[in-house]
Amino acid sequence: MQVYEAPLRDMRFVLDELWVDDGFGELPALAEFDTDLTNAILEEAGRFSREVLLPLNRSGDEEGCHLENGVVRTPAGFKEAYKQFTESGWASLAAGPEWGGQGLPERVNKLVEEMTCSTNLSFGLYPGLTHGGAIALEAHGTDELKQAYLPKMTSGQWSGTMCLTEAHCGTDLGMLRTKAEPQEDGSYKVSGAKIFISAGDHDLTENVIHLVLARLPDAPAGVKGISMFLVPKYLPKEDGTPGQSNGVWCTALEHKMGLKASATCQMQFEDSTAWLVGEPNKGMAAMFTMMNAERLSVGIQGLGIGEAAYQSAVWYAKDRLQGRALSGAKYPDKPADPIIVHPDVRRMLMTMRANNEGCRALGAWVARALDAEKLSPEPEARKRAEDFVALMTPIVKALFTDLGHENAQLAVQVYGGHGYIRESGVEQYARDARIAMIYEGTNGIQALDLVGRKLGAHNGRLLRSFFHPVSDFIAANKGDGPMKPMIDGLEKAFGALQLSTATIAQRGLADPEEAGAAATEYLRLFGLVAMGYCFARSTMIAGMRVAFGAEDKDFYKAKITTATYFFERLLPQVSAHFLSIKAGKKSMMALAEDAF
Amino acid sequence: MKKVCVIGAGTMGAGIAAQVANSGTPVLLLDIVRDPDNRNGVAADAVAKMLKTDPAPFMGKGEARLVEVGNIEDDLGKVADCDWVVEAIVERLDIKQSLYEKLEAVRKPGTAVSSNTSTIPLEQLTAGRSEEFKRDFLITHFFNPPRYMRLIELVTGPHSDAATVAKVRDFVDRKLGKTPVDAEDSPGFIANRIGTFWIQAAVNAAFDMGVSVEEADAIAGKPMGVPKTGIFGLIDLIGLDLMPYLQKSLTGTLPKDDPYQKIARGEPLIEKLIETGFTGRKGKGGFYRINREGGGKVKEAINLATGEFAAARPAPTVPGAAGKGDLAALIDLPGKFGEYAWAILGPTLSYSASIVPEATATIVGVDEAMKLGYNWKSGPFEMIDKIGAANLRERLVASDMPVPPILEAVGDGTFYRIEGGKRQFFGLDGQYHDMVRPEGVELLADIKLDAKPLLRNGSAALWDVGDGVACLEFTGKMNALDTEVMKLIGEAIPLVSEKFKALVIYNEGTHFSAGANLGLALFAVNIAAWSEIEKLVSGGQSAFKALKYAPFPVVAAPSGMALGGGCETVLNADAVQAHAETYIGLVECGVGLIPGWGGCGEMLERWRAMPGMPKGPMPAVSKVFEIVSTATVAKSAAEAKELGFLRPTDGVTMNRDRLLADAKARALELAEGYTPPEPPTFRLPGPGGKTALTLAVESFQSRGLATDYDGVVSGKLATVLTGGDTDPTEEVTEAQLLALELKHFMDLVHESRSQDRIEHMLATGKPLRN
Repeated sequence: MQVYEAPLRDMRFVLDELWVDDGFGELPALAEFDTDLTNAILEEAGRFSREVLLPLNRSGDEEGCHLENGVVRTPAGFKEAYKQFTESGWASLAAGPEWGGQGLPERVNKLVEEMTCSTNLSFGLYPGLTHGGAIALEAHGTDELKQAYLPKMTSGQWSGTMCLTEAHCGTDLGMLRTKAEPQEDGSYKVSGAKIFISAGDHDLTENVIHLVLARLPDAPAGVKGISMFLVPKYLPKEDGTPGQSNGVWCTALEHKMGLKASATCQMQFEDSTAWLVGEPNKGMAAMFTMMNAERLSVGIQGLGIGEAAYQSAVWYAKDRLQGRALSGAKYPDKPADPIIVHPDVRRMLMTMRANNEGCRALGAWVARALDAEKLSPEPEARKRAEDFVALMTPIVKALFTDLGHENAQLAVQVYGGHGYIRESGVEQYARDARIAMIYEGTNGIQALDLVGRKLGAHNGRLLRSFFHPVSDFIAANKGDGPMKPMIDGLEKAFGALQLSTATIAQRGLADPEEAGAAATEYLRLFGLVAMGYCFARSTMIAGMRVAFGAEDKDFYKAKITTATYFFERLLPQVSAHFLSIKAGKKSMMALAEDAF
Repeated sequence: MKKVCVIGAGTMGAGIAAQVANSGTPVLLLDIVRDPDNRNGVAADAVAKMLKTDPAPFMGKGEARLVEVGNIEDDLGKVADCDWVVEAIVERLDIKQSLYEKLEAVRKPGTAVSSNTSTIPLEQLTAGRSEEFKRDFLITHFFNPPRYMRLIELVTGPHSDAATVAKVRDFVDRKLGKTPVDAEDSPGFIANRIGTFWIQAAVNAAFDMGVSVEEADAIAGKPMGVPKTGIFGLIDLIGLDLMPYLQKSLTGTLPKDDPYQKIARGEPLIEKLIETGFTGRKGKGGFYRINREGGGKVKEAINLATGEFAAARPAPTVPGAAGKGDLAALIDLPGKFGEYAWAILGPTLSYSASIVPEATATIVGVDEAMKLGYNWKSGPFEMIDKIGAANLRERLVASDMPVPPILEAVGDGTFYRIEGGKRQFFGLDGQYHDMVRPEGVELLADIKLDAKPLLRNGSAALWDVGDGVACLEFTGKMNALDTEVMKLIGEAIPLVSEKFKALVIYNEGTHFSAGANLGLALFAVNIAAWSEIEKLVSGGQSAFKALKYAPFPVVAAPSGMALGGGCETVLNADAVQAHAETYIGLVECGVGLIPGWGGCGEMLERWRAMPGMPKGPMPAVSKVFEIVSTATVAKSAAEAKELGFLRPTDGVTMNRDRLLADAKARALELAEGYTPPEPPTFRLPGPGGKTALTLAVESFQSRGLATDYDGVVSGKLATVLTGGDTDPTEEVTEAQLLALELKHFMDLVHESRSQDRIEHMLATGKPLRN
């Protein structure tokens, strides 16, 4: 059964306790967002997610979206839920106040996003894409475009999409064919077909604003000839309300493995009036400004599903009576013990729990960097934060979605045969989680981004933003004491990360395929070390809270136990990944192509 | 030769005089009398101007004092004291002839007379002169700037005396450091004839094919193995106005059926540029200009079709192997790039192959001339070998271009080959001949043809260079130093102790070593691999000191840049044989660090021993601090002696090709009864001395000449140089000084502002003033 209660205590821990000293300094601009306010927001978001979004998750999955008479219809209840969502101001949470947003810091916003993703990922995509489109428009659009579109996109009255993929090109956008013809009035006419367009058309909003990648007539070949255009479904009238239809329509809905309540459309643009966003032929750069934010959000989707899967699995493991504990009956009064007594079920539950808490802590660190990047008064701190976000984006995206998927699979396993049955609800998580490893750049692409772009940039400067704090933490806390095993473990894992990093940098310089062959395992190794660092910090704080007699010491004790589990049972995977990396590409690339 | 006279104090004449002075030879520089009240004014002004020129014609200030100025009306008689007279006056036959007539009257018999003419045949120059004069006459054609360009074309006539020619040849080789190439008495000799053809072909093709100047320079630049300025950038550098002049001279003297006659043409746009003062970098700009309108600084390039300037577009990247020196791939590139490359290389290589033996006896002369006179990476025949002679022939035939006989003769073979460990060239007789090096020229490249290294890893190698001498070669990118180098030194010491008499540290890179591999070090810093960095520093200290105290002498033989760790390699050697063009310095402070491989102690020791230093612990410390804290780089071996990077006893070799032999000789000289030096001890001023140095830095800071962080870095340097917590009554050992270096180096490398400096240096090649 899909159950969900927002993990507010852990969220408050990562928000208020874990990263007080995050190395990015004070952000005076965030003074107004005090603990009372953020607690209220989180609690209300938790309630909304549980009460409004969760009940639509399974029904939406069963019903799916429908294309009827050229119009896409979302599943029953979505329209009403979306109305409530926008009216309660959830849509405008993270947007800047100048366009009517509430300017909520990313550190809080990402937690709210997690709740939405936990309870209804399909639903979350609609406002999520709008937000991404608004970011790109704000960064690159003309003032006129911003005035016309941003207020309505911010409020959620209009929604947004990103139209990149075409039938023959996904990862390699350089090949795309959609055309844009300049018009005399300075606008353009866009024509072409796009596929896999999330929220491409639907009945939740009165207008849909597409950001479309297309080619100008004289554009150079490849990715350097792509420009970004704004194409509304309906051209706004003088008074700003949607007017004439603009030659944009959904030709088909994709039939997907999961995420069925999210309308994934094939879109056709025919002489659609469009406006250039950013400079001609600089569309990829413009798209990438929102891509980083989007990739972090997709990482949060992985975490969200991972949390929901965990909670549903815990509920079942306590509820399902089957067999007896290996050491003898734990509940002799019942016909059988709940399966949570079994070590292997514990293994699954603890792994899921550790995955979630580790990712949440790491995500909170990156979210703070997003805030600091924008809001720090210190240029040095802004640069450091920017480096850190650039470095961690592929890790958060790929690690969180991999682990979210792993959690969903574990949940199915905890449910046993029932997990394979639709009514249990957990197989939906397994299907829904799958796409997050693919879209916004497959996790393989994320790993390549990490080793190819991020690792070597400026002779490794981006790495400094992670490696120095971790190195300093180890140096400062080394020595005998209760933390010794954890610090030693972290030091060893960190050493493996340093060595792999140097190895890949060195080999990759001589042979890029070596870097490519190591990429995925390196990203995971990096992610594990990052989670280890988060858990070690968490344990330090939790240990002190327990020692000083904190009120909710059960929470802190559980935190230490989860951290210990991570260090003892999950972090050792670092050694295996290290060995794989060290082995190099040889056996991976040796087989002749026709031997496959 | 005890004294040389140069007549004509223009750019070339003055530059030649400066290079003669650089060799330590007194030189008389004469020009006409322009101002009756200042009769030597022309020559004197030329010397004064050279003292302000960058790159400097003189290697040091002392050298300028070897130039005696005069004028041809009053001082021609002084020619009687000279062993060689170089004429570098205006290119007019009548004026030259009248000068020679006067010279004939005053020179002593046997004094060589040569002309630096680039256009007038020798036969005409000596017309009307005595047999005796003709015996001593030849053409010595220098290239601009004479200090830095290594080519001299030697042209002798039928009357030239072999002994006189040998005397001049030996002097330009050993003393002036040039490579003489024998040329026939034909128009343009070798380098300018091919060079002018090449430039003309490239310009024509750009105009005809609609190739932009940026595109042209991206192709006819680094990918072609020619100066990376590219063709239009090169013309801007040498001057657009020189082009019509060279063209006129060559079309006037070459036979009517010479292929150059067909391609020589004027270009209205270029003529207009010259008329309006766009003569290149010396003028308002040329094909490129810097637009400073509105306070900005925008590099603009001209549109060859319209003559309009617009912001220069970034150079297109030449893809794949074609961008990395594979000429066959370059001319095979599809589209405009490949077509343009072929439109240049096809005719130019065909032409080059057609002028042997008319312009010079062998293909070697052609290749040497283009490499040393035009800075081509490979000569035309070496280029043909890269493309493949058969391939080139096919393409020439297909393009309806002439196939010269030698290109037919070579068949499917190559113009150069390695046979029995010897490099051989293809002769006109259809046979291969050994390349013969002049006596005293030894090259590691030749040794490598037939030998395996004794030791080798990714960054260094050890070679047996004969006569009981081993050679340590750096092999990494920019010959950077890293732990691999130190590891190899560790392995080399027992081997050299056992089997050799001495070690030279030498390589044939453009630069001896730009120092520690900063990119690698910064990466290690960024991943917090602190122990690796400490290992690099302390490992380097141990390796260099192990060399210093090894039971055999170590002679460092630098050429080009020896910076940072490269400089410390030199400082730790027992003796140095430096190429005159060595640029040495401890530049660590520029990247927010301090010397860490013993540079501090070695410099203190050198300055302590400097003749005329006042007594006491402070003077040497102050000098070293001044030099190192400002990252001063010596601009020649001569200047390196003034700055104490070299000892007064260290040797200087003028000719790059003779450096190895000279270093070996030096090492073998030392090997006789060699005993390693005793580790020095120091008496240093301690904290009191540091305060004095810091005050000096503060005064720089208050005047805005040093940044806040300069103070931090130089403060660390001051601590090390003054011996830390010592005082003048205590002895500081070399080991203690090394430990201080290490500690403060590590402190600095942890600082984010040092990290920013390193990153900036790697990204831009320029120091960051943070």
